[in-house]
Amino acid sequence: MRITELLRLVFINLMQNKFKVILTSVGIIVGSATIMLVFAIGTGGQMEVAEQFKNLNAGAIDITYEGSASSFNMEDFAAMEGGIPDMGSMPDMSSMPGGGASFGGSSERGGSRGGGFSMGGFGGGRGNSSRDDRNKVVLTTEDIEEIETFVPGIADSTISYTTTASVEGGELEEAGSYTIAGVKSNYREMSNLTMAIGEFLTDENDENKEKYCVLGATVAKEIFGSAYDAYDNIVYIDGRPYVVNGVLSEMGSVSSGISPDTAIFIPYETGIKYITGSDISPTVTVIAENVDDVDTIMTNIETVLADSYSNASFSISDAGTKMEAASKSNDTLQLLLIAMAAIVFIVGGIGIMNVLFVSVKERTNEIGILKALGCKKRDILMEFLFEACFMSFIGSILGVLISLGITPIIESFGVRVELSVSGAVLSLAFGVITGTLFGFYPAFKASRLIPVVALNQE
Amino acid sequence: MEKIIEIKNVNKGYMLGEENVPVLKDVNFTVEKGEFVAILGPSGSGKTTLMNIIGCMDVLDSGEYYLNGRAIHDTKEKYLTEVRNKDIGFIFQNYQLIPTYNVMQNIMMPLLMRGMSHKEARNQCMEIVKLLGIDHRLEHKPNELSGGQKQRVSIARALASEPAVLLADEPTGALDSSSGQEVLKLFKKLNEMGNTIVMITHDLNVAQNAKRIVHIVDGVLSEA
Repeated sequence: MRITELLRLVFINLMQNKFKVILTSVGIIVGSATIMLVFAIGTGGQMEVAEQFKNLNAGAIDITYEGSASSFNMEDFAAMEGGIPDMGSMPDMSSMPGGGASFGGSSERGGSRGGGFSMGGFGGGRGNSSRDDRNKVVLTTEDIEEIETFVPGIADSTISYTTTASVEGGELEEAGSYTIAGVKSNYREMSNLTMAIGEFLTDENDENKEKYCVLGATVAKEIFGSAYDAYDNIVYIDGRPYVVNGVLSEMGSVSSGISPDTAIFIPYETGIKYITGSDISPTVTVIAENVDDVDTIMTNIETVLADSYSNASFSISDAGTKMEAASKSNDTLQLLLIAMAAIVFIVGGIGIMNVLFVSVKERTNEIGILKALGCKKRDILMEFLFEACFMSFIGSILGVLISLGITPIIESFGVRVELSVSGAVLSLAFGVITGTLFGFYPAFKASRLIPVVALNQE
Repeated sequence: MEKIIEIKNVNKGYMLGEENVPVLKDVNFTVEKGEFVAILGPSGSGKTTLMNIIGCMDVLDSGEYYLNGRAIHDTKEKYLTEVRNKDIGFIFQNYQLIPTYNVMQNIMMPLLMRGMSHKEARNQCMEIVKLLGIDHRLEHKPNELSGGQKQRVSIARALASEPAVLLADEPTGALDSSSGQEVLKLFKKLNEMGNTIVMITHDLNVAQNAKRIVHIVDGVLSEA
């Protein structure tokens, strides 16, 4: 039989049973909707990861102070009793090693330090002295210099910290709490930030502790309405006026470091002077000249820091590892969703098979007539196969449409859904293939019916 | 005369449990071109089995069967399909029309199976449709037709493939007497036009419309 004539017959048959076609393909509908969404959510997740890391230099290494390696000593007590429960000492408690040996060892050290503390307290100094006197380590530019000196292969390095402060000014009706980032002038370049308007902070701003700031795109919009209005205007951070030196372009969200869109950048020293005082937990960021050397550099940095602070532990992490971890968890999610889609498809396929078996049974007499009239086995096989194929095709299309309808609902749960044509094509292909595969057996059965038997079956 | 059907010493039996029950016993039967033969027999006489064998829908146990010069007993099932399509025009008691397709589609079916296009098949069928007086019903579905009309559609379908023989199984069995008479009149007319017809019936009155009658009783065939 000609393929066109065969298709015409298939079409007639399908049109005869529209409702049945829809019901039969429910499994396929759900299956392709799932595949479509799996693909969309997977792509969405990947894009999210990519966007989070797009501003991140692959060779960037972040170093932050994590806590003292010593477990329990007088200073901690002193610090807490003195009403200065700084952020650094809290994690100390949780990371306290349980071993008795380490207890003894560290208390000895703690004792020797106790003296240092009182002396430091006398001097009331900051910087170097505080590093020795207190358990909490505040990384400084001197640490950077030390790292740069002793660790080879570093292209650039910077130091930054974040805090929150109340901000007023512009169109804000009441003071809002914003992330304030104290940064050096090279922060912009190292973080791949671009300016929408104006200039980034300069070294002079930092040295002279000038009250200048650079706003993130979202912040500028919230406070002033637009980047243009924000530029050269004044914001009040903790009640002090800062001149807006520039506004950043929209950078998107980042998972590591400072989210540039929602932050206000001020010179490093300015922040220490007016906002935070010395109580900060800065992050040192270094950039490796060669991405392949990141591991070596990390080890070297650890050694250098261990040398300077024998008693402290630092978190040293690189962007590449973070990126890998993020995309790995995303891959796991996608794998899970694909497994789910596969199950749905198998169920859907069995549904199609089931209905086709019933259909073959129902139409046994028709098949008998066709055979008596001289219809070839192959043509009967093809007719039923095409029916399965078209049913699943229709189901797949409905599935894709339904997934489009569901998308806003999923998005309302905060999941990023990135619909794509390739996803639609994929789900169509999967739907049709499943339906056709599962349709083969009933079609084969139909083609094998014995004419006389089939003809006399009512 | 040219022999259309030639059956020699055909035996056919069915397994009933362990036992082989013979249905056709040493049947010899010949139909020549242009004949109108009735095979008359009561139910259970083996006439349906004989018709299935003539119609190439069943295979024989022993003996020879030539249809239009072709040795059917020596032909594989695959080619029997083709034989059924080209050389046999089936007319069934209960019409055996496909309910989902309309009248025209039903009639064209054997031609479409041959690989003809819709248009070609339609053209070839138009004359037959007019001859049988169903040309005003072409777009109807079978269940919208009367019994007589359905049987005419089924005859039209049989004629469409221009077969060597029209094989009718109780063609009037499901019809009232007047539509039955019309169908038989039509058969006579078709026979006069040169069609070879083999009609199977249990009704002597129906059989008498044929030019020749053969009797079948308990699987044994005898000329009247």
